[in-house]
Amino acid sequence: MTNTGGARQAAPKVGLFATCLVDMLRPNIGFSALELLRAAGCDVQIPRAQTCCGQPAYNSGDDGNARKLARQVIEVFENFDYLVAPSGSCASMIRTYPELFKDDPALSLRARTLAEKTFELLSFLVDVRGFRPANVSCKASATYHDTCSGLRGLGIKTQPRALLAAVQGLEMRPLEGDETCCGFGGTFCIKYSEISDAIVAEKAANIQATGADLLLGGDLGCLLNMAGKLRRAGATTRVFHAAELLAGRALHAIGEEKP
Amino acid sequence: MNARDAIFSALRRLRPEHLLTDALDAQARELAAAMKTCLPPLEFSDLVENFTARVTADKVGATVERLADWSGLPEAVARYAETNGLEKEAALQPDPRLTALNWGGVRPAPLKPDTMLAVGAARGGIAETGSLVFHSGPDAPTLYNFEPLHHIVALEARTVVARFEDYAAAEKGQPQPRNVNFITGASGTTDIEGVLARGAHGPRRLHIVFIG
Amino acid sequence: MNAPAGTFKERAHKALGDTNLKVALDRTTGNARTKRAAAVAAWPDFDEARKQSAAIKDHALDNFAYYLEQFERNALASGAKIHWARDAKEACAAVIDICRQAKAKTATRSKSMLGEEIGLPHALAEAGIRRVETDLAEHIIQLAGETPSHIIWPAAHRTREDVSRLFQQHHRDHRLLTEVEAMVASARHELRDDFFGADVGISGANYLVAETGAICTITNEGNAELTTTPPRVHIVTAGIEKIVATTEHALQLTRVLVRSATGADLTQYTTFHCGPKREGDRDGPEEFHIVLVDHGRTQMLEEMPEMLRCLRCGACLNHCVVYRKIGGHAYGGAYPGPMGSALTPVFDGLENTRDLPHACTMNGLCKAVCPVDIPLPTLLRDWRAKSFEAGYEPPGVQRALKIWTFVATRPRLYRAALAVALPLLRRLGKDGWISRLPFASAWTEARDFPTPPRQTFLAQIASGEQQ
Ligand code: SF4
Repeated sequence: MTNTGGARQAAPKVGLFATCLVDMLRPNIGFSALELLRAAGCDVQIPRAQTCCGQPAYNSGDDGNARKLARQVIEVFENFDYLVAPSGSCASMIRTYPELFKDDPALSLRARTLAEKTFELLSFLVDVRGFRPANVSCKASATYHDTCSGLRGLGIKTQPRALLAAVQGLEMRPLEGDETCCGFGGTFCIKYSEISDAIVAEKAANIQATGADLLLGGDLGCLLNMAGKLRRAGATTRVFHAAELLAGRALHAIGEEKP
Repeated sequence: MNARDAIFSALRRLRPEHLLTDALDAQARELAAAMKTCLPPLEFSDLVENFTARVTADKVGATVERLADWSGLPEAVARYAETNGLEKEAALQPDPRLTALNWGGVRPAPLKPDTMLAVGAARGGIAETGSLVFHSGPDAPTLYNFEPLHHIVALEARTVVARFEDYAAAEKGQPQPRNVNFITGASGTTDIEGVLARGAHGPRRLHIVFIG
Repeated sequence: MNAPAGTFKERAHKALGDTNLKVALDRTTGNARTKRAAAVAAWPDFDEARKQSAAIKDHALDNFAYYLEQFERNALASGAKIHWARDAKEACAAVIDICRQAKAKTATRSKSMLGEEIGLPHALAEAGIRRVETDLAEHIIQLAGETPSHIIWPAAHRTREDVSRLFQQHHRDHRLLTEVEAMVASARHELRDDFFGADVGISGANYLVAETGAICTITNEGNAELTTTPPRVHIVTAGIEKIVATTEHALQLTRVLVRSATGADLTQYTTFHCGPKREGDRDGPEEFHIVLVDHGRTQMLEEMPEMLRCLRCGACLNHCVVYRKIGGHAYGGAYPGPMGSALTPVFDGLENTRDLPHACTMNGLCKAVCPVDIPLPTLLRDWRAKSFEAGYEPPGVQRALKIWTFVATRPRLYRAALAVALPLLRRLGKDGWISRLPFASAWTEARDFPTPPRQTFLAQIASGEQQ
């Protein structure tokens, strides 16, 4: 393929996988992702047939049901140039589909093809699209928790910080233990709630110790866990997905009802 | 089937042998060589300097001095004993390099479980970690390195090699001694709250005297 | 292992309520993490070295029979006696047999996790052999009548204050000591006679070196050499997976092992032991026995070969958010933490231990710090799959996943269900938050839950509503 003088390549077709949590609990993250992807020059579609990536089943060891859901994701998204999800955890799950179908050559190939074009939103914006937000400002201090599947599963660490650096007026504060799990772990937090509580209590204390106005992160599951704990602990930290801030849509934090 | 046969038949079933000895040797050498491309850097190119820096670092905590030749060792031992309030009495490792010296003011004593001071002579040293190397034998009983509370070890500067790989290369094919001890600093433990404390069961102090 | 009391959840509950345990764990694992981080920071290619270390172990395991046989040949030639054991019972029997033949009354022991795994302390007690633990931490827990709670720091659950009280009670020196240095000196004094009076010294092995027939011990205290040199008989118990091809490989692995364990460049004492006392030797054991133990290793070679690389460094424990909260005893096996959760089902049966692979957030830090790059989360996930397939999972979980999948693979039904569910759920909310969820009370016991929106994201998109 040749790239003739200055001609722009066609906008890539991106299938936005909202993830079940965003879909159900925080549409604002979906809208933010949509706006950011468009601003980054993508042709975005939101397939109606999307539901769940199969992670709850997979992490419970229920491979049979995980495969059913994975198959559906493959069918719905395989014709896009990219699958982008505002979640490191769901993107990681989709990247493990080939493993799930290792005994089925045909599906395994389709799974691999999809896995290779699946990205977490913030890293996609930076690594694939070279995008930085323009004219976004937010006068506040914030701290960032690196959610584990993004950080260690996909190597996401610098990308969100690069994006947030472009937000005018935002002061970033270091978080003690920013690479330590918040204790969410999907169904873990329900099955072993007492242990999860002890872990998230330490996380919440570290967040409060930063004195930051905002807590940001890239995975709604973890953010719900931390936001719920902060609220229970009586903290006033406001919690947003980083995409919400970057899209200039950080009006109502998690748990703040729209008037 | 006895236990040995049961274990080997399981191993052979799961990992059938396919490579010949030479090919395996070559593969093992390649793996060792690959590791050598990603080693921790040496701080100093001079081996004695690097050895000294490692072994005197806080987390190792040995002390070091350097003499021109062996003849000054007895005096250094006497000085050490005096500075540390010890009697001028030491258990001497039966290494000819030590026994040949004139010990003058230092009284040789037998090694005992509560020996206060012993003097040893290392076979060599590893610069990357500041480790002393001992091969057990008639001239190097193992317990000289473990019974005393204070251990002074003479180390000829020319016997210090850079890396463990250098040691392994030099020993390849040689008969294996009963004990090979790599000693890196005095005995210590972090068993209480992960805090380092010295003199757990072996020496509380290690003093290294470079010769040459 | 003695069967642990209660269920995993009960033990975890007890541990979480123990404030002294929390202090001890925070101090020990915190120190360990800080020191490891400093050591790794000084080695820019550490990550590459982890991969190479995994390859070195894999090389030995891929040619397992060849190297194990070579080890046996060379060890026999050095005058060692080799004993093979398929399981824990055979292994203990071999050790007790050697002790009996030697008419041993007292055995000193330097820390070996394999010994704990096969229940050797218990077997020695049953055989009437006095056991003296010489590793400081093992000494502490022997005085306390406990089992290890960490594979590097068996007394990780004890604070210095606890140790001080234990020593005051049991040592000949009855003063109450406040400084760690003084406690260490007291233990040195206490154990000295036993080192030189024991009939048998028992150690583990960090490596079995095929090319020489030597076994390697790695310690900080010097207790391994004092355990194995003075007595007439030295017994080594080792899992067969400790095999490595060459001395060079063993030393290369030690670089990553020690940094991962304590953050040092090298432990104070790294010793290769090869056979009994030789002509002209002034010290050393007259008999040198090596008990080579399978106990699940061949099964692992089939089912999770990566786990056989494990160097027992303990880094995965120190970095595990779950271990750091509940400590080692809650796991109920010889090995706790992520590596323990992968291993214990092999030894104690998955049916009895299914909680262990599930009590993990899958955050992946254990794999990232493991010096031989063992994919612990994947191994735990595999246990979950086996448990699910075997029907060990609670019926409620099985049903819930079935229903969820049924609905989620029918997008229209899924959308319809959410259109009904969200407004219902919204009614529970007050000021934007729900403080008690009916179906997931476990969530709201510890945290609040935000009130969901009126409509899902997809429904809002479909109705053209752009917020
Ligand atoms: S699994 Fe890895 S990190 Fe854990 S003890 Fe074994 S070698 Fe160390």
